[in-house]
Amino acid sequence: MSTPAREMGRKDASFEREPARRVFASELRECRYQFKDSEDEKSPTFVLLPTGERCNRIFIVGTLTEKQRQGDQNIFYRGRVVDPTGTFFIMAGSYQPEAMQQLAKIETPAFVAVIGKPSVYRKDEASSPMVSVRVESINIVDKETRDLWILDTAERTIDRIEAFAVGTAPDVVKAKEQYPTIDPVTFRKIAYDALAQIKI
Amino acid sequence: MCRFTFAPHTSQYIDRIRSDSYVEMYEMDFSEAADRISRKFQKSGQTIDPKKIEGKLRRLIEEFSVQPSEAERSVTNELAKEFNIPSMGTGSAGSGGTGSSGTEEKKIADAAPGEWVTIEGKIVALAAPASPSIAQGGIIADDSGAIRFVAWAKANAPVMAVGSWYRIESAVVDEFKGIASLKIHSGTTIKEIEEDRALMPTTVPISELHPGIGSIRAKVVQEWDATHERMLQSGLLGDETDTIDFVIWKEPGKESLTPGAVYNIFYAQVDEYNGRLSLNLNTAMVMQEDGDIAVSGGDIAVSGAIVHVAPGSGIIKRCPVERCNRALSRQNYCPVHEIQPKFTYDLRIKGWLDNGEKTHSVLLQRDVVESLTGISLDAAKEIAENNPLGMDEVFLQMRDKILGRYFTCHGREIERLVNKCEPVVFESGKHTALLNRAGGAS
Repeated sequence: MSTPAREMGRKDASFEREPARRVFASELRECRYQFKDSEDEKSPTFVLLPTGERCNRIFIVGTLTEKQRQGDQNIFYRGRVVDPTGTFFIMAGSYQPEAMQQLAKIETPAFVAVIGKPSVYRKDEASSPMVSVRVESINIVDKETRDLWILDTAERTIDRIEAFAVGTAPDVVKAKEQYPTIDPVTFRKIAYDALAQIKI
Repeated sequence: MCRFTFAPHTSQYIDRIRSDSYVEMYEMDFSEAADRISRKFQKSGQTIDPKKIEGKLRRLIEEFSVQPSEAERSVTNELAKEFNIPSMGTGSAGSGGTGSSGTEEKKIADAAPGEWVTIEGKIVALAAPASPSIAQGGIIADDSGAIRFVAWAKANAPVMAVGSWYRIESAVVDEFKGIASLKIHSGTTIKEIEEDRALMPTTVPISELHPGIGSIRAKVVQEWDATHERMLQSGLLGDETDTIDFVIWKEPGKESLTPGAVYNIFYAQVDEYNGRLSLNLNTAMVMQEDGDIAVSGGDIAVSGAIVHVAPGSGIIKRCPVERCNRALSRQNYCPVHEIQPKFTYDLRIKGWLDNGEKTHSVLLQRDVVESLTGISLDAAKEIAENNPLGMDEVFLQMRDKILGRYFTCHGREIERLVNKCEPVVFESGKHTALLNRAGGAS
């Protein structure tokens, strides 16, 4: 099911869309390190997860609890999406008109699925870094989708923790350098708690 | 050569005869071989005095008792090195000349790029020359396999006929885009072989095809929309091992294959594009047969979330011209057949299915779209024609039903076409297993 050549047009034949990683809010919040593989302007920016995986795009499902319109000249929307472990900060601006219109339309609270690009930023020099997610798409979903996402994300998180323990992958090595004080085993407990919240 | 050994008194005479015949014999060969070599270099833009070549040959043969064929080879190589022409080399050292022409006689399957070869084979297909510098092109086969060939116009080679056998001496095997091809140049000699030898092509499993020429027995699994007006038919062929794309270009006498039917396909061109193989059937012999083939599943199932629904999804209009079926623009414009007011409606969804590790491009066709979104073609038509947003409204409704949700899509690994798709349901067993896994080491 890879992309046929004619669909790729001028793009490199080896083009692959960056997968949307699954990560809980409490892990994403810890990210501080952001990097690119090359100097090329078009090369993707990655945020390094403390469990040792890079992500250029993430897929999250949670409850949209708040949204706010901001800016006068350049209107954009901010929102908070809550999962069992914490809060994602999302935003959609005029560069993502469709996402912004979608976000504007959704009444809180609602279960939402968000596909977006994470980035690390600071409000100013003095403040601590924040991770926000620039929305590519957002859509209302149901509770079952939210539960499926928790299963999916818990599984991916444990996979990463186990790969981290082996400790040979380049991104794992990088994570150990960048996040010396974080022990990924804490995310195993968080995953367990998230799973335990699901009521059958 | 000389058998006058019984009469001692004639020994002087015999010696004279011997040396005369010796010189005479090679005299002819020297100039012929020298001309042959000189012609080879002329093609590379080098003019070399045949006298000089002759001198080198004579030295090797007369002084060093080198076999004439071997001498021709080493002189060619020596000169090629001198003029820095790499392609002139005649393959690996030690592949001693068994053929009279100085190139090794080979089975077609063993002919490797870069080699000079002599082969015997049957012309199984001819193709219209693509350029005036090509006199003839086609496929030649023996019992080991088949290879494409090109006879340069400059080669002045005799015209070969489909169905006849030929001995081709001193042709060059080269390679373009990973496909070997036999080049017949001015130094090549072609002799027709009078007898008609039996030749039964052996078919191979699709999974073992490689770029070049291939014969298979396969079933027509799918027929696709034509993407080019010169295209007669394209689709998918399958056997027990794998599937492969095929294409037939419009040409007098070419007929389309019947979907679902089984064919023996001999000597099709196997091309490679972006790491993917496809069959061009224009040169092939295609014979329908009655059997059936249980086509390899090759099916995979991917579960993940739909992370993008691309423009062009929802309800679309298609060109009504037979075998065209292209999607029309908003203005009912077909890229080939222009404005088509009597279009037909269809449903499709193009998007990305993402499992967190890899993103798969997916294409859902009408029946899959209907079952997934619960919007039938008729309902979609009704929306498209009566809602103020028209077709956009169908897109939005469908997007809202699937974006960000989990589905399992079934399809062939290498394609985006999804033939079945269903929502993922919550399994408490998986939930329990994950709880155990997460709790296990804490």
